[in-house]
Amino acid sequence: MMTGMKSIAHRRRANADDRLDGVFHALSDRTRRALLARLVAGPAMVTELAAPHAMSLAAVSKHVRVLESAGLVARTIDGRIHRCALAPGPLREIETCLDFYRDFWSETLDSLARHAEREPRR
Amino acid sequence: MRGLSLVTRRLVRADAARLFADWTEADRLVQWWGPRGVQCTGAEIDLRVGGRYRIGNRFADGREVTITGVFERIEAPHCLVFTWRLDPGPDLDERVTVRFEPRGAATEIVVVHERIASAEARASHQAGWEGCLDGLARHAEA
Repeated sequence: MMTGMKSIAHRRRANADDRLDGVFHALSDRTRRALLARLVAGPAMVTELAAPHAMSLAAVSKHVRVLESAGLVARTIDGRIHRCALAPGPLREIETCLDFYRDFWSETLDSLARHAEREPRR
Repeated sequence: MRGLSLVTRRLVRADAARLFADWTEADRLVQWWGPRGVQCTGAEIDLRVGGRYRIGNRFADGREVTITGVFERIEAPHCLVFTWRLDPGPDLDERVTVRFEPRGAATEIVVVHERIASAEARASHQAGWEGCLDGLARHAEA
C-alpha cells in the first residue's frame, strides 16, 4: 500500500453469520458482480468503475459501498482520488469452506460405498 | 440467503435399508465414516427425533474434531435430517439431509449440506490462497 494513502475499509466486526449474509447480499446483484469482475484485473478509481455502466456515478458509488461493507472491496483515498481494490478474503473463506465439504462428503461417501459393496448384506 | 449448500451424490450397490443402518448404528458407522486421512475415533447415536449424535474424527495432522447434532427427521430407510456442528468450530448449526433413493438393486445416496457458514475456524487448516480468483470468477459469472 502506498504511503500517504489512508485506508477507509470499514471491516465489520460482526459474527460470522452476519458477515456471510453481507457477502451474499453483495453478490446478489449483477452490477456488483460486474464491478468485482472488473477489479480482478486490478485496482480502479470509482470513475473508471462507473464508465461501462449506464448509471450515475452516485449509483455506482452506492454499489461500491455495499461491496466495501461486505469486505469484498478495499478503498484507499489519495487526495480526491478514491481507488478501489479487490479484497478477496470473504470469497476465499467461502471457497475454502465449500472445498472442505466437497472433499469431505465425496470421500466419505466413497468410503461408505467401498464398505457396503465389500461386505455381504447382513 | 443464509449460507451455502452443497449436494453430493453417490450410487452404491447395496439396498437402502442396509445403508440406512450403516449410517444410523454407531458400531456400523465407525467402520466407514470419514474422508481419506481421517480416522473415526468413536460414535454415539441416539436415533430419535430430538436425539443427539456425536462422531469423533482424528485428522492426519493429529487434530481432533467432534461432529455433533440433533436428529430433526427420521424416515427409515429413506431419509435422515440432522443438525451439524463442528467442535472446535463456529458457533453455528448447519444442517445435513441424507436421502437413500432406490435405483433398482442399488441406492443413490444424496447428501445435502445446508447453511454452510463461515470457514473461519477451518480456513486456517487450508494452505495457501490459491483458487480465490477462480472462485471469484465463478461467483462473478454466476
